[in-house]
Amino acid sequence: MYSYFNYRNFTFFLDEQKQEFVINKGIFNKTQLTVQLDKIQQVNINQNLLQKIIGIYGLKVDTAGSEGKEVSIKAIDEEIANNLREHLLSRKSISNKETYTEKTATFQEDIPFLKVSLSTLFKVGLTSNYGSTIALLLAFIYPVFDNAKEFLKAFDMDKGQVENAVESLFTLFSIGILIAAFLFLILAINVIRTFVKYFEFHISKHKHSLLISHGLLAKKNTLLSPNKVQITSYDQNYFQKKMNLLNMNLKQASSGEAKKGKDLESNNLQIPGCNPTERDELIKMIMGDIPAKGKLFIPNWRFLNLPIFFRVVFPVGIFFILWAYISELNPYYPAAIIYFLLAVPMIYISYKRHQLTVNKEFIIKRSGIWDIKHSLLFPHKIQAITTFQYPWHKSVDVGHVNLHTAAGIIHFKYGNYTEIKKLVNYWLYQIESGSEEWM
Amino acid sequence: MEEFTNENIDLDKLPKYQEVTLTAPHPNYWKVILINIFIFLFFAGVCLTAFLFLNEDIKHNRPFFIGGYLVVAVLIFILYRASFKKRGFALREKDIVYKSGIIAETTTIVPLNRIQHVALDEGIFSRIFMLGKLQIFTAGGQSGHLHIAGIEIEKARSMKEILLRKLDQIETLAEDQ
Repeated sequence: MYSYFNYRNFTFFLDEQKQEFVINKGIFNKTQLTVQLDKIQQVNINQNLLQKIIGIYGLKVDTAGSEGKEVSIKAIDEEIANNLREHLLSRKSISNKETYTEKTATFQEDIPFLKVSLSTLFKVGLTSNYGSTIALLLAFIYPVFDNAKEFLKAFDMDKGQVENAVESLFTLFSIGILIAAFLFLILAINVIRTFVKYFEFHISKHKHSLLISHGLLAKKNTLLSPNKVQITSYDQNYFQKKMNLLNMNLKQASSGEAKKGKDLESNNLQIPGCNPTERDELIKMIMGDIPAKGKLFIPNWRFLNLPIFFRVVFPVGIFFILWAYISELNPYYPAAIIYFLLAVPMIYISYKRHQLTVNKEFIIKRSGIWDIKHSLLFPHKIQAITTFQYPWHKSVDVGHVNLHTAAGIIHFKYGNYTEIKKLVNYWLYQIESGSEEWM
Repeated sequence: MEEFTNENIDLDKLPKYQEVTLTAPHPNYWKVILINIFIFLFFAGVCLTAFLFLNEDIKHNRPFFIGGYLVVAVLIFILYRASFKKRGFALREKDIVYKSGIIAETTTIVPLNRIQHVALDEGIFSRIFMLGKLQIFTAGGQSGHLHIAGIEIEKARSMKEILLRKLDQIETLAEDQ
């Protein structure tokens, strides 16, 4: 009953004159939601399995409003969905139905300029997102493993000494198999996850906006306007470099204070597996041009001090102090040495990769250890700039700068402070003299 | 249409944010900080005494607790004094500069055309001394906001007015285009 009345009272329409999208809902407490069209960041048209069977779509409109005022409509049919998609992101809307059908005809002819093939998806699955899959797998596998151990224990009870010797050999062997199986499982799950999520991923240019759609079971269509993208970034690890693959990320303004976890995710648009030419094309589409070579800024070697102290010297030191007192730790000292030998080069690599490139139109920040990430940003998307310096760095002229944008902060650490100040003055000049809007 | 010019920019001739003369917070604001520190220390002290009297086992350790308390009190005092000395703000034609920090010296610059909204906050003790806290919010998230405390209330009000007027101007300019 409640659902029915809720449904009856849910209406929405597009106000052509005021350029507003209006939603009325509620049974007793009537609510009217109004969204200005130029405040819309992206339009999501999703379809999960159930919706696919019935043939309806779910529509979600993302705004940058601070109250997390997101509009979502649960069930609309395809025609309305396409119609809305057509009009919500274009400022000039078409009023009568004839022109609308005409528009859809041209819409059908849109050729996707980026398509991710199955083999690329396979490669992407093999080379990225290990961390989250391992976490997922561990959470899943641990109980199973625990049960198996219990089972083995019961089985073990009546074993003689000969079998014991055989078993120890066998365990050594089986650990190898287990690790191999584990790795295989990670890769397999990774590949499947990527397939399900990004199946039939394609991007097409649609008037002034980008249309991105993907998904195997739940189909997701996202429409966004390029000038609302705050930070464009791409990353690539060693394997991906060998295969000529990149992951791209389009970051949009996150809505207000709700900046944690999931909300941030939804404001990031992932584009898996494009090659460098496609990347350049996308960057051209979003930023208008491919960044030309600029002036390069690299950090001072003092970048290394703090991480080496806190991540290496400090923990290893504590370990060895404990080691001297607690005899149980004795067999583990190789682990500490391995950690030391791994951590130092990693910190050094992160230092070498930490760079900032600046030219007239762009700011490019490079960072990362395994995944090398480039973040591209227009100076006019900066909201505020913070510079800071520790007193003991004053004499060596080393300082840091943070660029706050609506989609996160870009740090550049341990740079030459005089140069940083100069840059900040230049960026301020660009922001304050320009009339470009950040949204 | 405006006359279009595209001259070469001399980077050294740009206005320098680091050379702006900053206005320090009003001296009375130090009193407000002191009051707040004393209230905090008072409650901490009450808790500590209660703890010491209720716990018979640590009777002979009392001097250590009291010594620790005093050290913390002095440290808080010194740190706040240092941070108070470092604070300063400046309102320029097109942006607002705020310097602060306890150990590191942090300068935050917010261009006026990126301000989302402005708020004026008056605490109880601040009000006694006729002071206010000007809060400036940007779309850059928590770390991009500015909280400038210890401004005389009249000055803070006029600053807020100026900022709001600029915001209006910028908005109408944007709409004209």
